[in-house]
Amino acid sequence: MVEAKRVLGLHSPGRNLAVFSDDTFLVSFPKSGNTWARFLIANLVRPEQKIDFSNVNGVIPGPEVTSNRALMRLPRPRVIKSHQYFDPRYPRVIYIARDPRDVVVSQYHFQRKRKLIGDDVPLATFVDRFIAGQTCYYGSWGEHVASWLATRHGQPGFLLLRYEDMVADTPRELAKVAAFLKVDATPARLARAVERSSADTMRQLEKSQAQQFTSTKNTRQDIAFVRAAKAGGWRESLPEACALQLEEAWGHWIQWLGYELLSAETARKLEVRAGQIPPVDVLVGPRT
Amino acid sequence: MIRRLVAGSKRIFGMYRPKRDLQIWPDDVYLVSFPKSGNTWTRFLIANLAHPNETVGFENIHRLVPDPFVTWKRDFDRMSRPRIIKSHECFDPRYPRVMYIVRDPRDVVISQYHYHRKCNKIEDGYPMEKFVGRFLAGQTCPHGSWGENVTTWLTSRHNDPRFLLLRYEDMVADPHREMTRVAKFLGVPADGDRVANAVERSAADRMRKLERAQADKSSLTKDSRKELSFVRAAKSGGWRNELPDQFAARIEAKWGHVMTFLGYELATRDAASVEPELAAFLPSGPR
Repeated sequence: MVEAKRVLGLHSPGRNLAVFSDDTFLVSFPKSGNTWARFLIANLVRPEQKIDFSNVNGVIPGPEVTSNRALMRLPRPRVIKSHQYFDPRYPRVIYIARDPRDVVVSQYHFQRKRKLIGDDVPLATFVDRFIAGQTCYYGSWGEHVASWLATRHGQPGFLLLRYEDMVADTPRELAKVAAFLKVDATPARLARAVERSSADTMRQLEKSQAQQFTSTKNTRQDIAFVRAAKAGGWRESLPEACALQLEEAWGHWIQWLGYELLSAETARKLEVRAGQIPPVDVLVGPRT
Repeated sequence: MIRRLVAGSKRIFGMYRPKRDLQIWPDDVYLVSFPKSGNTWTRFLIANLAHPNETVGFENIHRLVPDPFVTWKRDFDRMSRPRIIKSHECFDPRYPRVMYIVRDPRDVVISQYHYHRKCNKIEDGYPMEKFVGRFLAGQTCPHGSWGENVTTWLTSRHNDPRFLLLRYEDMVADPHREMTRVAKFLGVPADGDRVANAVERSAADRMRKLERAQADKSSLTKDSRKELSFVRAAKSGGWRNELPDQFAARIEAKWGHVMTFLGYELATRDAASVEPELAAFLPSGPR
């Protein structure tokens, strides 16, 4: 059956996707605002079409859930969604980073929604597995971020976005994307894309279309896919010990990305390190 | 359609290369490097170490230390475990344990230049300037640039007990010592004789002889120019004579921080200005 599907091109290529030189990839670790960004970009490039959960994958497909045939038939240049760790073949990349202290909370609820974990699994247990890179197929958050930023940041063809900036000023960040994609975007066009992708709109769509989107199909309907859509929620929902654990593991990247460390001690340790050696932004350059 | 059916039938019988779809087992060990960094030599060393009763050569190396881009799926399924698998890929979080070989990129570029001549990818007299430019841009092979390949592994796994960093230069200088480290990492008995035998059986002279006899039997050498050998100098530091300064300077300008971290002395830059850059991004210790 699997082989028959492959012969007909109905298999999903995943990491074996054939990459074209004019492809742009929308990359992030899972639960970093990728679906929202897909809505924003799809609404931006297809102003004549209202983007929803039933058609977004047709505009910005994910190679893990889309057939090879559909991917090869997509009009070019393609914008493709991806959660992959560094792939040297991706020619142009929009990378979304998000504070891992929020990512872990988001992933915890998403995995409850998908019945991958029960409600009895404590968040603290999940955090241990998150740090070890055992909660998804794409490496740990730190490995993911390091693999892309250490290779591509500051290079042409790489646009770094922070989820937090997208929340704070969506039109400004979407304008960066438009420029990167060479899409002519008037303020009105940007505003319409932002509005059509708002958390409220997406929540309304999710209610009626949950069965038409891979991430929400056959999942618990009592937990929403479009959850808080906020930045910094971890300060209320993540136990302090867990936040400190994450900072211990990835403090240098958290800091480089401009997220404030909770732990004065970790910050001091990193400062001491930075006193002995130049600051962490030397390898990848200062964040731009 | 017929082509697809043939491909489909081949898949059913496992007569295809699994590539990135290879089913990975938790006891797999990967031997990873950027191309032209001593990977084949290390495969011979490891195959000789792990299989002291086999005669290791170019014709069976793909079975003993298989390559998912060359070895058939069927052969992977029949292999005894734990497997040691060769790879040139950038960071892949699925690899359970990794031995990573690095080599001075100034030597790598020369080695790759000659290898591409051998494989008819470039003609004799192809301008080195052009090749260095493509090498820096990661356009000479499908495994990222040298810097990309190395930094993805170092920033994710350095100092991790699941990761063993080897330098080609150290292996050339003291293969016995480095192979003892490998044997310990693999959990293979590392008594002196066994290691010494593996080193001797994988010596450059012996590999050159095997290459001459088996060139047509290995995908490593089969469809390439026979007058250029696959096992070339088998030395380190050859760039000092072969690579014009201006090209060494370009490589050092781009990857000086990584090279300094790896202990490769810079010839055209002051190391003090670049030394700690990479260190700041490495995981601080065993997790």
